[in-house]
Amino acid sequence: MSAINNKCEYISKKQIKIIFDGKTYEAYEGDTIASALLRNNIRLVGRSFKYHRPRGIYTCGIEEPNALVQIISEHNEPNTRATIKRVYDGMEITSQNRWPSLRYDLGAINNILSPIFSAGFYYKTFMGPKGFWKNLYEPLIRRSAGLGKPPKNFRSKSTHQYHNTDVVIIGAGLSGLAAAKKFINTKYKVLLIEQDSYLGGVLKNSNKVKTINDLTPQEWINETEELILNSKNINILKNTLVTTYNFTNHLIALEDKFAGKKIDLNKSELTLHKIRTSNTIIANGHIERFISFRNNDLPGVMLASSFEKYIHRYGVVPEKEPVIFTNNSSSLSLLKTLISLGCKPKAYVDSRKKDNIETEIKKILKDKEIQFFSDAEIEGCDGNKKVETITIRQGKSFTKLKSSMLCVSGGYNPDIHLFTQSKGLVKWDKNILSFKPDTPFQKTITLGSTSGNYSFKKLCDEINEKLSIFKTKKVSLDINLNVPNKFSIKELWETKKKSNSNWSKSFIDLHNDVTTKDLKQAITEGFDRIEHLKRYTTNSMGTDQGKISSINSLAIVSKMLKKEISEVGTTTYRPPYAPLSFAAIAGRSTYEFYDPERKTSIHSWHLKNNAVFEDVGQWKRPWYFKASENETMHQAVQRESKMLRENAGILDGSTLGKIEIKGRDALEFMNLMYTNAFSKMKPMTSRYAMMLGEDGMIKDDGIICKISDQHFIATTTSSGAPKVLADMEEYLQTEWPHLQVYLNSITEQFSTFNISGPKTREIMMKVFPDIDFSNDAFPFMTFKNFDYKETKIRIMRASFTGELGYEIYIPPKFGLELWEEIFSCGKEFNLIPYGTETMHLLRAEKGYIVIGQETDGTVTPIDLNYNWMIGKNKKDFIGKRSLSRPDTSREDRKQLVGLSPINKKDIIEEGQHIVELNELPKKIINPIKYLGHVSSGYHSPNLNHSIGLAMIRGGKNLLGQKFFVTATGKTKNIPVEIVNPVFIDPENKRLTS
Amino acid sequence: MILIKCPYCGQRDQSEFANGGEAHVIRPKNPESLSDKDWGEYVFYRNNPKGIFYERWVHSHGCKKWFNAVRNTSTDQILKVYKVNEKRPDLSDFENTLKSPSGEPLVGSGNFAVKK
Repeated sequence: MSAINNKCEYISKKQIKIIFDGKTYEAYEGDTIASALLRNNIRLVGRSFKYHRPRGIYTCGIEEPNALVQIISEHNEPNTRATIKRVYDGMEITSQNRWPSLRYDLGAINNILSPIFSAGFYYKTFMGPKGFWKNLYEPLIRRSAGLGKPPKNFRSKSTHQYHNTDVVIIGAGLSGLAAAKKFINTKYKVLLIEQDSYLGGVLKNSNKVKTINDLTPQEWINETEELILNSKNINILKNTLVTTYNFTNHLIALEDKFAGKKIDLNKSELTLHKIRTSNTIIANGHIERFISFRNNDLPGVMLASSFEKYIHRYGVVPEKEPVIFTNNSSSLSLLKTLISLGCKPKAYVDSRKKDNIETEIKKILKDKEIQFFSDAEIEGCDGNKKVETITIRQGKSFTKLKSSMLCVSGGYNPDIHLFTQSKGLVKWDKNILSFKPDTPFQKTITLGSTSGNYSFKKLCDEINEKLSIFKTKKVSLDINLNVPNKFSIKELWETKKKSNSNWSKSFIDLHNDVTTKDLKQAITEGFDRIEHLKRYTTNSMGTDQGKISSINSLAIVSKMLKKEISEVGTTTYRPPYAPLSFAAIAGRSTYEFYDPERKTSIHSWHLKNNAVFEDVGQWKRPWYFKASENETMHQAVQRESKMLRENAGILDGSTLGKIEIKGRDALEFMNLMYTNAFSKMKPMTSRYAMMLGEDGMIKDDGIICKISDQHFIATTTSSGAPKVLADMEEYLQTEWPHLQVYLNSITEQFSTFNISGPKTREIMMKVFPDIDFSNDAFPFMTFKNFDYKETKIRIMRASFTGELGYEIYIPPKFGLELWEEIFSCGKEFNLIPYGTETMHLLRAEKGYIVIGQETDGTVTPIDLNYNWMIGKNKKDFIGKRSLSRPDTSREDRKQLVGLSPINKKDIIEEGQHIVELNELPKKIINPIKYLGHVSSGYHSPNLNHSIGLAMIRGGKNLLGQKFFVTATGKTKNIPVEIVNPVFIDPENKRLTS
Repeated sequence: MILIKCPYCGQRDQSEFANGGEAHVIRPKNPESLSDKDWGEYVFYRNNPKGIFYERWVHSHGCKKWFNAVRNTSTDQILKVYKVNEKRPDLSDFENTLKSPSGEPLVGSGNFAVKK
């Protein structure tokens, strides 16, 4: 039975109610879920990961491997550590990984089958047949193994905060507070970070310290906290856990803003602190480790220091008569605490020899008539879903005791996680039987038990010495103890079992259900490197990262391998120190804030006219316009494409990248950047141009407008604009700093409309009655500037559809007005708006390429038969030399061709392969000869059959030949003829009409 | 995430910068006069040393200026930053900087410890 420690000051006596698995329980404000459950004598809180074994509360902190629960009242937050999470009135909690209920879990069949679920079971068993993994094994395993259920709805719940400080102190226990004292009223900007909602650490969790500077621990904490709060240079962050220690002293810490309070959905419940500091002081203490014995996972087994922490920190004594099992001197503190509360442990089992056990312990045990077993160990414990009997081995004799709780202490590990994350080196210390920090890699200082110093008396000197570099005042700590200052420990990792049954288990990793037998088996199978062994057995790979057990497993493995632990080494400690939810990392970058959306000035019109949008880079572009509710995309695109070639259509091309190039050497620069020759080009004309990489491959294309030799405007693809500008800037700064050229992105300075179709000229004449659009006055690929109302516009004659077309550039402020004007004028000519899909279809009919569709970073202009674009007489341009490299000038490179189906009803699909076989074999044994792929495939409404553009090996010489194109879900291929990629108007009559 | 000192703006977070690969690879003045092999080496071949490395960075979310940096690739320490037109610092300037196997702790990885 549990009892109450009325002396506990940290828990308010305000009673609240919580709901666990549907039942209501009473708790105190300030309780964690674990302390509240223990207060109500609840020991069974969950089922284990693999075997579904009953599990209880093992620890009292972040290291908890078992007691993970789902918080229903917080949008179903899973895998919450019951030992950390504070309760509030009305909190609803359920246990995890059990069905139908926690007491009767059908999955427990796994425990009976456990002899077959040994290390590497999944790797060995679920091998085949093909398809079984995806369709049968994985869904099955996912259902039966695992932890909580993920929340259904995601909501943004964290904000990020940035800090720049001189010193960060991690942990506000005795060492952390004493270190902070050294910085009071100094020039250093200090951040003191504490995981708990109170300062004090070990001083609050045990009664090891009697007085500090003649004050009680609580008085000393209060005095120190007040001094810190009055000092302007130190900030305290409570309820904040440092999870990550990166390069250049970059720390990440997570603050729980609602610890112990009901979450307000309108407020951010977490703050992720991103901290840059010059120096980091790690003082986050130590973590107790367990000992492996038979059934060491039964509910009722608990770490000794955690048991003591529940008494001091939460005022609940989990059991009045526990058995204590230890291999070190620290358990005296728990013994004394229990005695002082009038409780009497059932037995005290110490693995050390009687002579090595402190006289004070022996005296208390004798005075209070407590059963004492020295040089003894726990063989195991038994019971139905809880500890009922405990078997003690002393020499050759066995003693069975009845008790419902067993407190275990296997020694302490310095909490080296953050230190090793910072890439500091650790070394094995024989006195404490653990790894401790050695050489730091960054400006990192470890203090107190984190540094492996378990002596309270030496702490003051350690702090003054290690922090002397800051040249601040010395602190004085006169500490009186309730326990011996000297730490003594005997090596013990696993106790011997009485019999070797296949069903009896001693666990090494409680979280992932790994037994000591699994370690042995893995080594026998050849996994004798610790990193391999870890992955094969999943040892210490749970969300607790083996905090109470990983050193034990290293020790057990080193014994089996007959090596020193320092030779075996540790596995790599990786951030985060404790689970960090994606919601915390995402912060405010969710939904519409994740990535900005760019909209054109015509966006509202598109919305009103039933545009369906496509994302192009960050831009929202109309994909197609629905003429009626039931019109499908295919119908809309066919309609738009046909209407445009018959009448006219208009496209919002504002997203097209536009870069202004100005300066004395603009001409020379453009000649170097693009393949084309611009020197002989007349002012106020434009040209289709290509930009290559130094490897000769096409990077981007666009129309270049030449205003003068000192002034150009380049258009780019919608998504390529930032990259093209950056590349131009790079060459200007790094290779040609002598060129006097200035670049400016003017993409958003203009709204751009592409209007094309046979009736375009009539529409343009109606919109701009003063402008002469005749072929002589306004030939193809020229542009002019005009005054329009109170602004200026630029009109260029160009086309991407193959029809007569103009591009209009106007400041966005006037964009929508002009767009609507064009529509009112175009009505009588059946002008339609069209989207990007129709644009793509029409350009494919005309054989125009699209960057990223026909090209994929391995295509040169020669491969596209665009030799006319290459300024061969230019001495140099980016990529020119590469075009004559042997590989780039090969005859059998993939080259652009058109595809026309022989049977006009067949559909050529984009992405399909071109082969020589009319039918694929049922079983493919030898690779099938691959000739190329379909880069664009559309049904052309103007030709009334499917067309394709393809990249085929040696395609230029294959015109008129017959090949086959594969089809989705069919073995029969489609016969096609290789044709000229220009399907419509190869003579360019329409373009120049 | 490391800190980088832009020679124009000062110390900023790495996320403001973009890496541009090896520095001091000069584009040949007259590409046509180069053999296929020499041109291929200019386009495709770069050094990738463990240790001191001269590399290019651009303050892409800042002043957009390119500059050079000397970084120890095994410790990720940036030892020097300098402008594009400044002289390449001598390798011997960095002899006394922190040497680490790769920032890996001696007993940080089991494999590493056993290999020793």
